[in-house]
Amino acid sequence: MLGSFAVLRKQSLLGDAISHAALPGIAIAFLITGAKDSNTLLIGALISGLLGTFWIRGIISKTHLKSDTALGLILSLFFGFGMLLLTFIQKQPNANQAGLDKYLFGQAATLVESDVWLMVIVTALCLFVLLLFWKEFKILLFDKDYAKTIGFNTKTIDILITSFIVLAIVLGLQTVGVVLMSAMLLAPAAAARQWTNSLSVMVLLAALFGAFSGVFGTAISATQNNLSTGPVIVIVASIFVIVSFIFSPNRGLLFRQIRFIKNRRDLELHKTLSFMFHIAKTHEDISHPHAIKILNNFQGFTKGTLKKLVDKNYVVLNGNMWSLTNLGFQTAANLYNQQSKNDE
Amino acid sequence: MSSAQIEIQLIASLVAIACAIPGTFLVLRKMAMISDAISHSILPGLVVGFFITENLNSPLLIVLAALTGVITVVLVEQIQKTGLVKEDTAIGLVFPALFSIGVILIAKNANDVHLDVDAVLLGELAFTPFDRLLISGVDIGPKSLWIIGFILLITVALLFAFFKELKLSTFDAGLAATLGFSPAVIHYGLMTVSSITTVGAFEAVGAILVVALMIAPAATAYLLTTDLKKMLLLSIIFGVFSAISGYWLAHWLDASIAGSITTMLGVLFFVVYLFAPSKGVIAVMYREKQQKIEVSLLTFLLHLKNHTEESERHVNHLNEHINWQKVRSKTVLELAQKNNMIAINNHIVSLTKKGDEFTTLAIDYIMTNEDAQIEDMKDDFFLFRG
Repeated sequence: MLGSFAVLRKQSLLGDAISHAALPGIAIAFLITGAKDSNTLLIGALISGLLGTFWIRGIISKTHLKSDTALGLILSLFFGFGMLLLTFIQKQPNANQAGLDKYLFGQAATLVESDVWLMVIVTALCLFVLLLFWKEFKILLFDKDYAKTIGFNTKTIDILITSFIVLAIVLGLQTVGVVLMSAMLLAPAAAARQWTNSLSVMVLLAALFGAFSGVFGTAISATQNNLSTGPVIVIVASIFVIVSFIFSPNRGLLFRQIRFIKNRRDLELHKTLSFMFHIAKTHEDISHPHAIKILNNFQGFTKGTLKKLVDKNYVVLNGNMWSLTNLGFQTAANLYNQQSKNDE
Repeated sequence: MSSAQIEIQLIASLVAIACAIPGTFLVLRKMAMISDAISHSILPGLVVGFFITENLNSPLLIVLAALTGVITVVLVEQIQKTGLVKEDTAIGLVFPALFSIGVILIAKNANDVHLDVDAVLLGELAFTPFDRLLISGVDIGPKSLWIIGFILLITVALLFAFFKELKLSTFDAGLAATLGFSPAVIHYGLMTVSSITTVGAFEAVGAILVVALMIAPAATAYLLTTDLKKMLLLSIIFGVFSAISGYWLAHWLDASIAGSITTMLGVLFFVVYLFAPSKGVIAVMYREKQQKIEVSLLTFLLHLKNHTEESERHVNHLNEHINWQKVRSKTVLELAQKNNMIAINNHIVSLTKKGDEFTTLAIDYIMTNEDAQIEDMKDDFFLFRG
């Protein structure tokens, strides 16, 4: 859901960066408290995720490094630091430490009821805030300068969105793990984007896709042994994306190809017609019959196009001969003046 | 230091150098995230290679993994070309999918073999000296050392052979294309090299460290210089420095070597980020402050020039009129006095001859925006330098 905003804001990889950046937070929270209470760990993850995000912002705005560099930098540095801490923890004499690395890859099966409730609460909160600030989010997304001119505090809204993205990511970490979280954020939104141009529909669709891939992924992984949930969910989500890419009615590759072919056909039809027109022009009687053969040295001609022309009443066929009708002649003469009319 | 320690440091340094070279170009070409994508998506290539050869040490593994890396790049570009999503989204879609395939393949088929995800992702430098390369029974050193050394050799050779082409196509792709270098060939060449480096290096140090070693030294160097050769050199130095210091940090903390090398890289970057002479945060903030003061100064001088009556030029009045805080007015007044642009008599401020000329020039500059007129003033003021 929040992924929609990330995709539209061209910050898609932010999710990836944040999910990696959350690791040192988890480790530090564990080092401080010494317990594996999921709430404190999540708070740690949240803080370090936010820290990473704002540092990325700082790098982009204060130096000439580009956003991709900043992202990659923060991602790898934070993660490396997290690894350092994790291995450091492993050497500590503390029986609780096992299972911290579960956060790396996630395991939905390890979730307990309280975690689920936490997720429900946070999701509800996200929804509430989203509905409350819908207008503000939307305007910030599409026209930041305008939002600023009419007096919205763009910075606050920006921080709000970012915080919620971070929150969502940190929560999702437990289920799908660090590496795959970015796909969870992105894939549903990217799929939804193909079906609609409206923000509200897109957010709704993205939530739907996300939920579906979650359910299907879990179901598939439950039926087989040795199949961790996270990767399966991601694969399902990716399939959604591929299907959307190919089959979506307006932007999809399939329909685009069909449209492309159709346009080419139309063009060839026009070409044939204008070729006929030029032949017919040399005769006094426009409906003077000509042999079909003379069309052969012209590439746009096929039996199909000829038949289509007949269907449109532009051409009359008579055995091996064709002749332009009056209507056909008129159309051909005006072909390039009013092409739009001919497309039908 | 035992020989194993020296070997580890040597491997780490070689990896750092091998990564820094393609990394510099990736950062300059704004494709840093590609390295992250490659490092994740080589996993299925490795797994498939393992199924075919049943041998973790086969060179086929590296070839296949590098191939997957290139496939990733191609896929990302194809998706991007459809225009359905932006490049970053394309990257974000491709590599988790490939990575998931890899994880599932491992989980389904290779549970009992030594090929677990942790090792792939994180690597363990500490074990590399134990994996020796034996040629006809003679121990000639750790295997990773030879692999990464070989890759480094190729990278360096390619760098020297195609330095001009790389430089040109990085900074001016259009010109490169006009001169007859195919940008696509160079692009895919670079991608292949990055991919091979990633594969070769990550066996020793893990995927995350590869990304860190590619991006961080280059980014750090980019903050310090804008000269390509210097940048390459600096990033190599940074890489090697953090490799060795990271090793000792790990030794001291008894923690993961890969993690501590990354941490050293992070510390290095942070220091440079703060203190870099012209692009660091502190320098930028200082410059912004200077510019602010100078704009104020200009406003102030213009105000003086426009008002001849004495009441408008009283110190306190200025304070109110231009609506500045006391501190700011004071700084501006002092700066102006120091430059002999104003004279204060009995709390009445007036422009000196120099100040008058300066203001006229400044107005001219603002109106016409021509550089030539203020060449001589540039030394005194930041404002006119940008």
